[in-house]
Amino acid sequence: MSRSVSVAVLIAVGILSAGALHIGSRDFSAAAAQQKPAAPEVKIDNFSFGPATLNVSVGTTVTWTNHDDIPHTVVSSDDPKAFKSKVLDSDEKFSFKFEKAGTYPYFCSIHPKMTGKVIVQ
Amino acid sequence: MAAKTTEKKDELLHDHNHDGVDRRGFLKCMAWAGTGAFCVLRGGVLRSYALSRLPELGSKEMAGELSFAQISDSHMGFNKPANTDVVGTLKAAVDKINALSVEPEFLLHTGDISHLSKPEEFDTVDQILKGAKPKDIFYVPGEHDVLNDDGKQFLERYAKGGKGAGWYSFDKKGAHFIGLVNVMNLKAGGLGSLGHEQLEWLEDDVKHLKHSTPIVVFAHIPLWSVYPEWGWGTEDSAQALSYLKKFGSVTVLNGHIHQTMQKVEGNVTFHTAASTAFPQPQPGKADSPGPMKVPAEQLKSVLGITDVNFVRGQQALAVVDSTLA
Repeated sequence: MSRSVSVAVLIAVGILSAGALHIGSRDFSAAAAQQKPAAPEVKIDNFSFGPATLNVSVGTTVTWTNHDDIPHTVVSSDDPKAFKSKVLDSDEKFSFKFEKAGTYPYFCSIHPKMTGKVIVQ
Repeated sequence: MAAKTTEKKDELLHDHNHDGVDRRGFLKCMAWAGTGAFCVLRGGVLRSYALSRLPELGSKEMAGELSFAQISDSHMGFNKPANTDVVGTLKAAVDKINALSVEPEFLLHTGDISHLSKPEEFDTVDQILKGAKPKDIFYVPGEHDVLNDDGKQFLERYAKGGKGAGWYSFDKKGAHFIGLVNVMNLKAGGLGSLGHEQLEWLEDDVKHLKHSTPIVVFAHIPLWSVYPEWGWGTEDSAQALSYLKKFGSVTVLNGHIHQTMQKVEGNVTFHTAASTAFPQPQPGKADSPGPMKVPAEQLKSVLGITDVNFVRGQQALAVVDSTLA
């Protein structure tokens, strides 16, 4: 189960890095051979998190990147907070490794209408 | 009266400042430079005029018991294409304030002083505002001023005597001014928030005041529902306003949305100020409320929102002018 999930994630990462249309099979097999941990990215764009819901396996590091002209944050909505970024200016990133299964809702504490969640299985 | 001046504004292409630049030329090169509002309390009623319109106003409009100027959203540190010179546009606002024939008693800054809460951003604004003739400046924080440190720096710099996260009140010439903080402890999916402690303080703060006391409330995020989908509202503002129902004249001044809007609701007049830094889209007219890059030829339409002015016949609570800047 966890193997098929991580393969799916690798494919998703491959699509992202290859620019959607062309996936180099060489890249894919090389990544798979090295058993690299998947590093899915959430894009912050136009005052929203994309994807708003992200499914990852336990042990995955997720990276958020702010593509807006305005600063944002990535802050867990749980109490106590599972994670909290510092303020991310344009093009800055925040990463967090999810060690435990569960659903992790989060939001931008500056623009609280912006919400998302990470589902860890 | 307001309608008349609004019409006049659009025809006005002459050199009123005698500086060799007509209005259209000024707009093209300066965009929103010098945005802010001149407020005058007259007969207990607050009137607000965009600074860009002042050369057209006579001494009659500017006279009153008390006058002050509001500036907002200077976003010091912002350097994206929507405005790469926020220092210049803030200085232009100060120049306009200094050029007023009636010197305002004080300034109000309704938040987002800085873009990233950096000490050097606050320092730059402080330095520029030292050049303003009015020496008293009252601030409330925007969400950009309380990043990373829960507002400690803001409190230390701008609201030392304040309660809680920096709310306070003061009296000037018979009017009662209340600075509120609605950018702290925001909840996922929510709007601006005042919180229980501040609401209790507010109820107590106004309890002893006479009903005839003019009340001026200022806070960063609008205390009315401008556009909740973009977070342009405050979730517990209704409760705050309920404490002010007994007063005959209540004015609420906000920033945050980077455009001027006015609304009258019962005894309360709401105003939002333009930003000195960059404009934002009209509610729902874009995918998000991010900074708007305005080509010169579109500038007029963007700034034309002023026509939303809400005026109530002869008993206008606010003869509000719109901004062309």
